[in-house]
Amino acid sequence: MEPILEVRNLTTQIPTRRGLLTAVDDVSFTLHKGEIFGVVGESGSGKSMTCRSLLRLLPSSARTVQGSAVYRGSDLLRLPPKAFNQVRGREIAMIFQDAMAVLNPVHRIGDQLTEAMLAHRVVATPAEARARAVELLRKVGIPAPERRLQDYPHQFSGGMCQRLVIAIALSCQPQIILADEPTTALDVTIQDQILKLLIGLQHELGVSLVLVTHDMGVVAQSCQRVAVMYAGQIVEIADTVSLFTAPKHPYTRGLLACVPQLAADGEVLPLTPIPGSPPDLVHPPAGCRFHPRCPLASEECRHGTFPLQQVGQQHVSACIKHEELGLLS
Amino acid sequence: MNDLRAVPPILEVNRLSKRYVMNAGFWQQLTRRPPELLHAVDDVSLRIAPGEIFGLVGESGSGKSTLGRCLLRLVEPTAGQVLFKGVDILQLPRAQMQGMRRKLQIIFQDPYSSLNPRMTVRQMLGEVLSVHRLCPPHRVEARVRELLHLVGLPADAVDRFPRHFSGGQRQRIGIARALAMEPEFIVADEPVSAVDVSIQAQVLNLLIDLKAQLGLTMLFIAHDLSVVQHISTRVGVMYMGKLVEMAPRRLLFSQPRHPYTQGLLLAAPQPDPFHHSTRVALEGEPPSPLHPPAGCRFHTRCPLASDRCRQAPPPLQEIGEGHWVACHHHDLAVWPPPAVTPWAA
Amino acid sequence: MSEPSMGMAGRVNDWGLRWREARWLQQPALLVGGGLLLAMVLASLLAKQISPYDPIAQNLSNTLQPPSPVHWFGTDNFGRDIFTRVLHAVQLDLQIGVLSVLFPMVVGLFLGSLAGYLGGWVETVVMRVVDVFTAFPFLVMVIAIIAILGPGLTSMYVALTLAGWSAYARIARGEILVIKKAEYVQAARALGFSNLRIMFRHILPNIVTPAIIFAMSDIVLVILSTTSLSFLGLGVQPPTPEWGSMIAEGRPFIMTAWWLVTLPGMAIVLVGLGLSLLGDGLADVLRTEE
Repeated sequence: MEPILEVRNLTTQIPTRRGLLTAVDDVSFTLHKGEIFGVVGESGSGKSMTCRSLLRLLPSSARTVQGSAVYRGSDLLRLPPKAFNQVRGREIAMIFQDAMAVLNPVHRIGDQLTEAMLAHRVVATPAEARARAVELLRKVGIPAPERRLQDYPHQFSGGMCQRLVIAIALSCQPQIILADEPTTALDVTIQDQILKLLIGLQHELGVSLVLVTHDMGVVAQSCQRVAVMYAGQIVEIADTVSLFTAPKHPYTRGLLACVPQLAADGEVLPLTPIPGSPPDLVHPPAGCRFHPRCPLASEECRHGTFPLQQVGQQHVSACIKHEELGLLS
Repeated sequence: MNDLRAVPPILEVNRLSKRYVMNAGFWQQLTRRPPELLHAVDDVSLRIAPGEIFGLVGESGSGKSTLGRCLLRLVEPTAGQVLFKGVDILQLPRAQMQGMRRKLQIIFQDPYSSLNPRMTVRQMLGEVLSVHRLCPPHRVEARVRELLHLVGLPADAVDRFPRHFSGGQRQRIGIARALAMEPEFIVADEPVSAVDVSIQAQVLNLLIDLKAQLGLTMLFIAHDLSVVQHISTRVGVMYMGKLVEMAPRRLLFSQPRHPYTQGLLLAAPQPDPFHHSTRVALEGEPPSPLHPPAGCRFHTRCPLASDRCRQAPPPLQEIGEGHWVACHHHDLAVWPPPAVTPWAA
Repeated sequence: MSEPSMGMAGRVNDWGLRWREARWLQQPALLVGGGLLLAMVLASLLAKQISPYDPIAQNLSNTLQPPSPVHWFGTDNFGRDIFTRVLHAVQLDLQIGVLSVLFPMVVGLFLGSLAGYLGGWVETVVMRVVDVFTAFPFLVMVIAIIAILGPGLTSMYVALTLAGWSAYARIARGEILVIKKAEYVQAARALGFSNLRIMFRHILPNIVTPAIIFAMSDIVLVILSTTSLSFLGLGVQPPTPEWGSMIAEGRPFIMTAWWLVTLPGMAIVLVGLGLSLLGDGLADVLRTEE
């Protein structure tokens, strides 16, 4: 597998009233060409901030203080602004959770679709851009695309808006799409449609997709590989099947045990919650950040750092006690 | 489920409807255009037996939340009856309704906006206890601590404001506030949709424990089928203001008979990498609630739709022991659908 | 972003919590503004100790003296020490400022909340009356009302209340419309609380913040307009020391004795500065509390 984006030691901090909050802490991962890579975590785990750091779309106070993100030989985090704008939107596109808020309510969607194509000179003439816009709308499953180019965003439902945003993201034929909770705001049946649309498009176009989500179900249904984030750090990366069948980090295991699952016979098993709450990122616990909630925690977990280490083929975990996981009931 | 019928229901909803009048502004009145009506809840009937947790699922706009609020008269229904222990609470005058509110409580979805930001936990719970004289003044303090203990919050939480708590802890405060009234019936309106997954299980388990401990009856509203499956004894599915299917938990999840229920089940992404399909579970989107389609409201998205569905709305009928379905073609709705692997057994 | 965990909050002792709560101590604008005002009030309370002169007694042999070590701000056309008069006026001017904001605030909040909470015809009536009142230019209305009631402190308060309440009513109604939908208000209804209790315990405390923030900027404007009223001879009557009337009395001498007008004017500027700093700081504190 050919790597397309290599993120190393990414660290992003936000100054707050109470002190420095490390939202993304020494995050490293590799995105392969043509894969769907899931980043899963709870709110405040730093999954969205990781995405935003890569595209330099951070809130004004936040700073990426360390790290690199190498795409085609250049470090995205160090590219001068002008060169970076050539990459952002054109080579790397982003899809957000709230599609309604992304679309500008006062512009016709035809104009919003063609804007990026013309700005990045992907197409030569407005007529060509228009033809491509129609084709894109058809591709993302919007009926009667020629007519709808004249419409405004408020005339679309939430699901249709997300389709539009996907069309805009695809308009410049990007190599990478960062999708930040693209289906969280949608109803289940619409979420299902959008996820399958994304998977289909990814297969068809061969783009690489980073899918940020809090939903283990979404990950299982769409990703090939997954990174699990907790309190700003990646604690485990594995291919989806290994992650769900043989998790090597107690947090991942805890997450899987506390998500209710549909059972075909309607019978349910009791859920095992993870005790406690996620830590305060201004004053995170020393040692492994999960230790206050971890059933395996011992003295050695309370000090030092816990880098990701190889625990299987294509499988890394930050837990030094991952071997004991199997011993838990 | 014979036993369910033998016991008189604690709550009985008969043909409840809530209509909102839209665009009834000055201009509409001037032009004498008939105002548009939005049927948020349309002719819904159900009974809930004591000790049950009745799960109500549906997507946004299905009317599940409005129904829940109608039961407490937080929203005044347009038509129908809500009988609580045989008394129609919709007919109660104001003063008597205030008393009735003790018995009927609600837990809200948003743990951030459902707590007054300027009151400490002690003030919040103490207010409930003293206004309704639920315990003598010298016992208030002890009762507050008892309630906190019941929902698993530390005793030193009493003097803190909501902003000092995490989402899950706030939800516990909301639950404690509802429990302070010693209610007999609780509407839980999406109580876990706004909290994180690792916290969601804590809150669900707490509700299950409380139900067992205090013998509560609950209407549990959610959009997440797996959550509803987990907590409910019986489940109702709503689509565009209508109840389309209702059955005991096991039956509904193992033999769903309404195409919409089936679509919902197939669409829910399951945390199981071995079972997924590339086929879309349910095409299309719900039509505008201002102009609902004639006949069965689901026919625009239904794979089984026929001419009959486009004309006559299907009644909710009992097709098996306690299994109610509103579909003309419920016998054609095969489950599990061929060529699609359902989730793991 | 992240929320404090139970463990964290549990470990913070009471004093730590109080210190973090005491955010107002960490607001420089609030401290500077408050300090400035406090210093002025103290100086005015100690006016008799600070300055040996009488603020009212005339000394016609010593008129229009320029600022000097003997008379720091000079003397006016009646030979009175201007510094002494400025000091003595602090209390009166601040009192006028505070009261002329407090009265309209109370009236406006009450009527606006009523309109927002009850809705229906109450809302229609109150808000249309608000429209009528906002349609008049502020100062014109104040002057008209004082003209009817006759000049003096009481009529000034009445006039400022009548002219100023509508802004507060608008704020209150807008905030209530938002808060009415908040789930904690729904929760209070579900808990069977009476309308009065919901209004006073659950809604009003949450709308007072924006009203106070507005009042802090309003108070500066009100002091300015009361001084203009005194300047027009409609407010505080001479010989009571008051900055506006001092400026008015000094006007004929502006070309020959600049200190008569300028130095009381400086006092107004200083109070205005103090109040707006205080307001800014207070706004920050109150906002972050939410």
